[in-house]
Amino acid sequence: MSVSSKLKETLVCLKAGRVTLPYPAQARPVPEKFRGRPIFDVTKCTGCAGCANNCPAREILVFDICQEIRVLEYSGLRCTYCGRCADLCPEKAITLSHDFETGTDSIHDNQQRLEIFMSTCQRCGRCFEEPSALEELKMKGYRLDDLANDRWVFRSRSYLEGEPAVEDIPIEMD
Amino acid sequence: MVARDRLEQLRGKFGSAIQRVDLPGDSRLFVFVEPSVVKNICQYIFRDLDARYVISIGIDDRPFSGNFMVAHNFAFDEDHLLCSVLTYLPSNNPKIDSISDVVPAANWAEREMRDLVGIEPVGHRYLKRLVLPDGWPEGEHPLRKDFSWDHVPKEFNDEREFTFDEPPEGCTVVPFGPFHPTLDEPAHFRLYVEGEMVRGCEYRGFMAHRGIEKMAESVLGYNDIPMLAERICGICGCVHSVAYVQAVESAVALKPPPRAEYIRTIMLEIERLHSHLLWVGLACHIVGFDTLFMQSFRIREPIMWIAEKISGNRKTYALCVIGGVRWDITPVLKSELRQVLDKLEAEWREVVAAVSKDKNIQKRTVGVGLTNRDLVKNAGLVGPVARAAGVDIDCRRDHPYAAYDRVEFDVITAGGGDVWSRLLVRMSEVFESIRIIRQCLERMDDGPLQSPVDGELPVGRMGLSSVEAPRGESHHFVITGENNRPRRWRVRAPTYQNLQAVPMMIKDQQIADMTISLGSIDPCFSCTDRLETIDLRSGATRVWSQRELLELARAKEVRR
Amino acid sequence: MSHGVISALLGGVLNVGLVLLLAPLCQGVLRKVTARVQSRQGPPIWQPYFDLLKLLGKEDIESGESPGMQRFAACLSLATVLSIPCLVPMGFAAPMNDVADVYLLIYLLALCGVCTLLAGLAAGSTYSLVGISREMMSIIVLEPLFAIALLVGALHTRSFRLDTVLNGSVYATDGFPWSGLIMLGVILLSFQAFVQRVPFDISEAETELMEGPLMEYSGPKLALLKYAQMAKLVIYSALFVGLFVPWGSGEPFPWNCLVFAMKVFALVLLVTLVAATHARYRIDQAIRYFAFLLSIAFVALVLASYGH
Repeated sequence: MSVSSKLKETLVCLKAGRVTLPYPAQARPVPEKFRGRPIFDVTKCTGCAGCANNCPAREILVFDICQEIRVLEYSGLRCTYCGRCADLCPEKAITLSHDFETGTDSIHDNQQRLEIFMSTCQRCGRCFEEPSALEELKMKGYRLDDLANDRWVFRSRSYLEGEPAVEDIPIEMD
Repeated sequence: MVARDRLEQLRGKFGSAIQRVDLPGDSRLFVFVEPSVVKNICQYIFRDLDARYVISIGIDDRPFSGNFMVAHNFAFDEDHLLCSVLTYLPSNNPKIDSISDVVPAANWAEREMRDLVGIEPVGHRYLKRLVLPDGWPEGEHPLRKDFSWDHVPKEFNDEREFTFDEPPEGCTVVPFGPFHPTLDEPAHFRLYVEGEMVRGCEYRGFMAHRGIEKMAESVLGYNDIPMLAERICGICGCVHSVAYVQAVESAVALKPPPRAEYIRTIMLEIERLHSHLLWVGLACHIVGFDTLFMQSFRIREPIMWIAEKISGNRKTYALCVIGGVRWDITPVLKSELRQVLDKLEAEWREVVAAVSKDKNIQKRTVGVGLTNRDLVKNAGLVGPVARAAGVDIDCRRDHPYAAYDRVEFDVITAGGGDVWSRLLVRMSEVFESIRIIRQCLERMDDGPLQSPVDGELPVGRMGLSSVEAPRGESHHFVITGENNRPRRWRVRAPTYQNLQAVPMMIKDQQIADMTISLGSIDPCFSCTDRLETIDLRSGATRVWSQRELLELARAKEVRR
Repeated sequence: MSHGVISALLGGVLNVGLVLLLAPLCQGVLRKVTARVQSRQGPPIWQPYFDLLKLLGKEDIESGESPGMQRFAACLSLATVLSIPCLVPMGFAAPMNDVADVYLLIYLLALCGVCTLLAGLAAGSTYSLVGISREMMSIIVLEPLFAIALLVGALHTRSFRLDTVLNGSVYATDGFPWSGLIMLGVILLSFQAFVQRVPFDISEAETELMEGPLMEYSGPKLALLKYAQMAKLVIYSALFVGLFVPWGSGEPFPWNCLVFAMKVFALVLLVTLVAATHARYRIDQAIRYFAFLLSIAFVALVLASYGH
């Protein structure tokens, strides 16, 4: 009955000991290059739509909702975690995180939506790319000490109580 | 210049009927002939020149040349040549002589051609639906260019039931699948059983269609398709993506840099390692030996981890783009890979030493699922199934690709033709794979990972590529096209040919051996099916009586 | 009611309760040890209790050809298996010693096998029919082995009483107990088949037959059948210990129970290790093997009738 080979096989088994990992009781570490769920960084994205053009699963949609706001939607339905979006992004705004536990009962948990402010040229009205993030901030009017650029400063309509609205600066929605 | 010699042989016999020849290099030959001589040429190539049949492909070329096209691909293994016999068919009358009585292995390919492209093989004996369900209306052919990829014909009847054949006298019917504990993917074998012996079987498959080829031709781009290709199969993903990019690269004469070729080779061999180890475990599970199943998987796990470290995922490596690869193997990864291989080799040697003397397993696998050289030739079997029957074919040596021409390895064969031989072949191939990876790690050149692609790829070029998957030869055929996507992409997985021989293997064997016989070809039904968008639960595809298959497999020389 | 009847009934109930309690524990130990051999953690040893409770709590779905017969088969299976502990000494003397004898034991053992046939037939699906045809073939060559072991013991001690036969009677010869040792070897080599474990769990081969006779059973019916299977392991171990390994059972309470429990657990461990290291045999190979063992058993029977 081939006892010797059975004994050898048993020896192989017993030498190994217990090898199963107690996941999910303990988290399982993943290697550095693991391709998990992509995370889109709104501060770096310039709305070039290179990721959308090259996604094999057509998961990324980029569209304009008005002249200045471009929306990037990642729908998370058929993403293959291939990482081409991250490879192609010129601004390195996409990182493939180590997150692989993406099971959920609501698809919205996996969706990401970025609204990117596309600054428009005041002369011709078309969008262009800002030279630096600081310049972008100026466009959005977050730096009140830069009021000299008053033509570019936008202020929201939600006033503090008791404060009068400031009339002489043209007010636009943020 | 062996391709030229073969061409001269063909010219000598069929001179006037050859319309055009493309000879892109020493290893590829495209011969355009008139439709009337196709059958004779194929018979000459298959029988007299003793080539191996690979696949037949139907192509809707009407937007470009106004005709349909049929390609019959053959392989001259000793000459390292892949050859394709092509012919144009008029668009109003796409009929061609069937070659299935001279080349029995072409059976499924011609029925698929008829179902999906609408090219009628005249003289085919068993024209029943192969790929499309029975409820699909006539005249609607999904792979035609005027059929949109998301279109469902109004007359499609998804409720239509399958009509089975009557079982022969004295036999009961034992249905095997589509739901069965050992069957990973859906397929239906209707066994005719007398007592405990299987007397015949009826096969219905193609339940896992996903519309891969249609999507590649309609909506995806060249660099999107490798991501799709690696999902054709649950184990041999890298094989399909490498085969595809190689086919395109061969079509447009683009050579990837040497480092990329070495990396492709390493990842392919890593895939072979994990596939063979998985298969050995699965075979032991099928015969009830769960302990060895667990141990195989335990030994295999470090390979999955190193693959994850190199590429970011355990199985879908997302490795290839046209012209190169995306991931690099750094020196740290190299040393880690070497450690993993050393440990794997030591542990696997112990297991092989124990299993090869194990009479208990041998009792269940020796003499089961028999094949012989005739069946291998006629049915076009490939991979370990063929090598276990003593036929010495291996694409890595016969049609070298990637870096296989720069490494040394042996091709393992065994003589028995049964499940035990296949087990031995696969266990030994593990050591050869380890050897290949070690050589690649030593000889890898430094350099870029991708060749630059300038501008659009040329249109209308044909490329063939054969890659040795763990299961056998995986063959891709590409015709490049406009809009950054191919005009036609045909995937022929190894299981496509191997499955056609399963009814022969299980005849006159016991029902208990059915699962291990089927498992021994390492079936990958997902690879085989790939083809149609609509996957409704309907009735049938076709009847395939075992007697018919016997006749086919035994048909030898026919009239000249 | 006389004192003897009451004590017999109480003893029977005690034994049955003991088996009911211990059987899932033995199964749990078996699964845990198998897992450790396979380099994994395995379920906790209390898992079979939870499994049975879960199954009992499920909806009783009617599938298969004759659901009424299926219910009857499941109940009969467990009932038959549980009636055997009343006849078997499990640390104490056999409770129903005075009212039953070895013949009844043999018939009850055979009835257990028939219950599986009934279960498969009632289900009526193709796979269960194939499974019971295998089971039928096995029963024909397998059941006689244990019957012959009991007969050998009966021949040696010239009695059919349970407490005499199930007390190492196979060795009760004047000279060297040839027949006893032969039967020990035979039963050891075929023990896996009696308790339906690899390499001889052919009728319920999961990977080939999708559980065979158990195929159309779910919920409470499956719980009963599974319980019967688990109990068989304990009962056959107890029978084996009684017949072949009786030493230490004459000690005063509680030592005799502890010794008995240890012996049963040792046997369960042996079953586990053999099950973990073997592949399943095909039915024709198994039948040939059992037929060979049966011929040796007949030789032992002949020797026993001549007093060796």
